[in-house]
Amino acid sequence: MIGAESHTLDVLLVTARVAGVAALLAAPAGIALGFLLARAEFRGKSAIETLVALPLVLPPTAIGYLLLALLARDGWLGERALGFDPDLLFTWKAAVLASAIVALPLVARTARTAFEEVDPRLERMARTLGYSRARTFARVTVPLARRGLCAAGALGFGRALGEFGATVIVAGSIPGRTQTLALAIFEEIQLGDHAAALRLVGITVAIAFALLWWVERLSRRRSR
Amino acid sequence: MSTARLELALRLPLHAFELALELATDARSLGIFGPSGAGKTSLLEALAGWRRPASGRLRVGDCVLYDSTARVDLPPERRGVGYVPQDALLFPHWSVERNLRAGLRVDAARYQRTLATLEIAPLLGRAPATLSGGERQRVALGRALVSAPRLLLLDEPLASLDLELRRRILPYLLRVREEFDVPTIFVSHDATEVQALCEEVAVLRGGRVVARGAPAEVLRAQRGSDFENVLAGRVRELHGGTAVLELDQGGLAHVPAGGLGRGARALFAIGSDEILVAVERPERISARNVLAARITGVEPEPDGSVRIEARLGAGDGAALCASLTRVATEELGLRPGLEVHLVFKTNACRVLSAAGSDGTVDRIALR
Repeated sequence: MIGAESHTLDVLLVTARVAGVAALLAAPAGIALGFLLARAEFRGKSAIETLVALPLVLPPTAIGYLLLALLARDGWLGERALGFDPDLLFTWKAAVLASAIVALPLVARTARTAFEEVDPRLERMARTLGYSRARTFARVTVPLARRGLCAAGALGFGRALGEFGATVIVAGSIPGRTQTLALAIFEEIQLGDHAAALRLVGITVAIAFALLWWVERLSRRRSR
Repeated sequence: MSTARLELALRLPLHAFELALELATDARSLGIFGPSGAGKTSLLEALAGWRRPASGRLRVGDCVLYDSTARVDLPPERRGVGYVPQDALLFPHWSVERNLRAGLRVDAARYQRTLATLEIAPLLGRAPATLSGGERQRVALGRALVSAPRLLLLDEPLASLDLELRRRILPYLLRVREEFDVPTIFVSHDATEVQALCEEVAVLRGGRVVARGAPAEVLRAQRGSDFENVLAGRVRELHGGTAVLELDQGGLAHVPAGGLGRGARALFAIGSDEILVAVERPERISARNVLAARITGVEPEPDGSVRIEARLGAGDGAALCASLTRVATEELGLRPGLEVHLVFKTNACRVLSAAGSDGTVDRIALR
């Protein structure tokens, strides 16, 4: 029983670390992309939009395989191309990378909506009052979009929490190192330990429920 | 007063037509008058740098904001214009005070003067969402003034308010004109406001300037029977509820005293359809204003009425315009050069504002 509890704790720690760092990576990238898509007009914008949306519909295993090919010794981001061994595959960092990529479209799309809800004329007014673009972004755009941006980060974390397909391919399912909740549930089912699987599912449902409930509250306050 | 010659030349394609104008003026306050959809707001947005014209040159004093030939296009933050859009556009996440201090170079004395002129000190702690329409406009005007602009752009600041509220805001705009020496472009489709606030007006229709000049003369020709004459004077006496004004161009007028004090400057409006024309001086009549005048023009209007233009005194005083029926005009034999009397009631006059005799602003009644 003690073993089972410390195992669960390990799983939770790995999950928090992987999903947390993945969300921290995906949030700035997704927010920047969301802002670009909401405000900028440029050639090839629809191509970027499609590319950003792609991970939403691709099977995560396909993403995992592409990532594996990229990070392999002779891949574009492998030892031979970089001149050193990035040593990512089958570490928690690979799990982070996979989760971040899968979470990115969700963050970008939610952030985009949040930015689109900010009246661009308020940004122009800030410029007229003497604010540079950067200051306008920091003082006007982000504060006005903050609820939507928090929701974007939370959804990114949530998506990373549930990541399975890409992670298992690039990071495996190593207990205490790369085994997150999603991977642990799969393993317990494989091993036939339904009680353990059920316990982990219960924890996952609780976390996801709390997260979505918060996001829901954020968006309700926003639309008021 | 510093001279700030205003040069507006631009071509700007809009949805249905092209905004194309070319005008230069030394007027401190230029009115842009026209129906909605005439391109008035687009002109202000081009000046603020929110829209880029196809070509042209925009200059305030010696500062070139935009010049397509010289490839000058200052970003909005370097234009130094104060813009008060129709919907005020206050930052919803900041208090009134933070909104007022939003400009980057806030001068303490100027800030205090703005609070006093617009009477917005009691609003400082409020959130924009809790302000009434009139309060919101005053705060937006204050925010623009505090930023010490070289040009003030007012986009129908009164349009979103009902008639009663507009009449309460107008005095503040007049005070701002007295208190702050800022060249102003005032966009409006209200002829009375333009007359009260502007030295010069350009009438915009379908993206082009169709008339330009002194507001009273230009707007008289633009409006039909709903034209209001705007006259200015100084309070000579007060009795009962009446103030007797000595008009700037000679003559006396009786208007409701409101909060006017002796010696105060006052502006009032009198509708052209509120003025009677008598060919002989009427005796024992209740109307307090019976002013001798000489007819300078008789113009038939498209709506069937006739516009009588007259100047007070022997024809050298203030110009007024009265709207009569064609039958009355013909029966009285009204024609240019004829000496007549213009008759109107004290209570038909609407006092727009007042400023103190020494140029400072009176605490006028803002009911």
